[in-house]
Amino acid sequence: MSHRVTTSKSEKALDTVSKVKSPSRRLLAAAAGSTAVLALSGCAKNAPQDTFQPKGPNAQMIHDLDKLVFSIAGVVGVLVLGFAAYTFWKYRDRGQPIPSQGHGKPIAEIVLTIIPALILTVVGVFTFRTIFDLAETQDTELIINVTGQQWWWEYDYPVQTELGINQPIITSGQIVFPAGTKVLLRETSRDVIHSFWIPALNGKKDAVPGRIHLLRLEADKPGIYAGQCTEFCGLSHANMRMEAIALSKADFAKWVANQQTPATSPADGTMAKEGEGVFLNQCVRCHQVDGLKKADGTPALAAPDENVYSGAAPNLTHFMSRTTFAGAIFDLVTKECRPDVWDAKPEEFGAKYLTGVTEECLNQRDLRAWLRNAPAVKPMYADPAKLGQSDGKYRGMPNLNLSEDDIDKLVAYLTTLK
Amino acid sequence: MFTPGSKYFLGLSGLSFVVATLYMFLVNPNDLGALALLGLGCAFGAIGGFGLFTRDGDVFSEEDAIEASATSPTPSFWPIVFALGLALTLTGLATTPIVFVLGVATLIGGGAEWAVQNWADRASSDVSYNGFVRGRAISAIEYPGIAAVGLAVIAFLFSRVMLTVSKDQGSIIFIVVSSAILAAGFAFAFKPSLRTKSKAIVTIIGAVLLLAMGVASALTGEREELVKASKEDHFAAVHRECGAEKAKYYDKHANNTVSLRSAVAATIFVEDGKLYAQMIGLQTKLDTITIPRSNATSVIFRNLDDTDYRLVVNLGSVAVAETGVKEKVGTCTQLTGKNQEQLMTLNVPKPALADEPYSFTVPGIAGQIKLVVP
Repeated sequence: MSHRVTTSKSEKALDTVSKVKSPSRRLLAAAAGSTAVLALSGCAKNAPQDTFQPKGPNAQMIHDLDKLVFSIAGVVGVLVLGFAAYTFWKYRDRGQPIPSQGHGKPIAEIVLTIIPALILTVVGVFTFRTIFDLAETQDTELIINVTGQQWWWEYDYPVQTELGINQPIITSGQIVFPAGTKVLLRETSRDVIHSFWIPALNGKKDAVPGRIHLLRLEADKPGIYAGQCTEFCGLSHANMRMEAIALSKADFAKWVANQQTPATSPADGTMAKEGEGVFLNQCVRCHQVDGLKKADGTPALAAPDENVYSGAAPNLTHFMSRTTFAGAIFDLVTKECRPDVWDAKPEEFGAKYLTGVTEECLNQRDLRAWLRNAPAVKPMYADPAKLGQSDGKYRGMPNLNLSEDDIDKLVAYLTTLK
Repeated sequence: MFTPGSKYFLGLSGLSFVVATLYMFLVNPNDLGALALLGLGCAFGAIGGFGLFTRDGDVFSEEDAIEASATSPTPSFWPIVFALGLALTLTGLATTPIVFVLGVATLIGGGAEWAVQNWADRASSDVSYNGFVRGRAISAIEYPGIAAVGLAVIAFLFSRVMLTVSKDQGSIIFIVVSSAILAAGFAFAFKPSLRTKSKAIVTIIGAVLLLAMGVASALTGEREELVKASKEDHFAAVHRECGAEKAKYYDKHANNTVSLRSAVAATIFVEDGKLYAQMIGLQTKLDTITIPRSNATSVIFRNLDDTDYRLVVNLGSVAVAETGVKEKVGTCTQLTGKNQEQLMTLNVPKPALADEPYSFTVPGIAGQIKLVVP
């Protein structure tokens, strides 16, 4: 039943509605521009952390689910918005009386409850199936322990003789595995919660102190896949990155063989040998180099647990075999040499990566800046005067106040750690 | 302006704030005691405010109060309780804290009851009406308080019984008593024809039985294994013999409910006299597990055999600074019965030396699980 509202209050309200202005052209132009910018940002070519470009079966599963969910959500969105727009237009204010205000339409309510429930059921079935598929671990071919700490990732490979890993391998920054192989990461953390995410290879998974969380990785082809920590973990959270390196199985075997080889001492009389002395004096307190011996011939064992809050510092035995350092935020190769590895074709990638960092391609500028004053180039809690909150231990690498001469020697020594 | 009830509670509130202030300055400003006193002050203030707002529930007018004040108070045993509380408090100060706490509780309870009764006695010249007023003021606190004390007494007496009898006997007694209570509850609820006297007799018999059993058990003392475990300090971290168990009794169920088990690094099994490990994510049987260094890592020990075993981790040795003598480093779980499990959390800061590799062993079982810390 309709009725005409005649109270003065209602008439005033109608007057107010009538006076609402339509959106200006300027506003429309701004909205259209913003939408265009958002849409065009999806066309970026240099976007290594693009979750919509899966490069492995796990990421593909997520992407397939995305497509389904986004399609359904898109259709629902268009229908709802279209119906809303139609309603706004058809029943816009033209000075007509307010229609009758009814309540309750059982059929409409039942239908509008059942339809969303059915949609959510369909989405739920596919989502659960994907979740269970992603959690599959029965077919694992390689296990890697991943440990997060402020602000870098450590990777250790338990003994797996069938893959030629006869003694544990320990590395950082770049996680290396064979392409086409089902890799199982066993994640944990030494200090706070971090989150491991290589968007092209799988979803993210938190690394939580005291717990082991599992994440599968698999890359279709050899190459470099970028990622970064996705759980806020302190001052340099944004500088905690990682790179997944997929090699062919043959190249991975070579990498494994090299990683199990201890470092050899540089020849006497060379600058690198002097650098080894600087390393023994300054760096070995935290950084382990397997095969490094003290002057008395005994093994030099790092004790990061005594100096670093997290209890660990990157193992540098094969420092020059990886192409990044300092939590993968700096390239160890120059800008000129970088595309040679990053943009290499899958079939050529392994050979180029295994070449390591040559003297010509070494990014001396960033490496020296790091050695000169690490906290100046990557924010870290490394001020000796402010260590009260961390048991007198550093979070990250402190400024060692090295002389330029020592830096020269250290760089010469580090280049021998292939 | 102020009603008698509001004056009373507002006075208590003010007193609480004064005591809290003194406490903060004289004892410890960060202590929970100050917080409790401030809370008490606020609570009394709120009650006083309600009393003021409702004019003490319109219990009486000023004229009534003058008239009521002339009537004599009803007989009360609360002064005796209050005196008992005072005596206990003073005795507790000289003897043990538990008596002091009991005394303070009695003092507060008796004092509050006494004060409320005195306040209610002046409500009118009608004794029954005054009783109603008193009930309205204090019943909301009195009944839950009495119930809490009653439950505490029942729990205490029952716990004496359970600590005296063996575990098996305890299970039987628990089942029988709980069944009897359930049956009595059903009978009371569904047989309204039962006379109140019958219900009271059943309840009193139950209470007397419980009291007798509790007192008898308390006089007998705890069962042997508990006395021994307590005497030998079985539950302390230092009570780790890590070899053949010398003591007859131990806590078989320690760590059985640790929530961390859902994401431990590995589980070590004893099955058919053999030792093997499984790492999360791998179903194969392993003889080596790898854990990150300088990281708290949890390992579960699960015994599937009939014999009780413990897991021991050997973490090399360290030279004692003063003597230079090398001492073994490691720890172990308590003995673990069949199908039981215990958790061990390790934090190993350094890799093992070549001549002293890390390992897990189980005394009485051949073999070992190598522990690798890269």
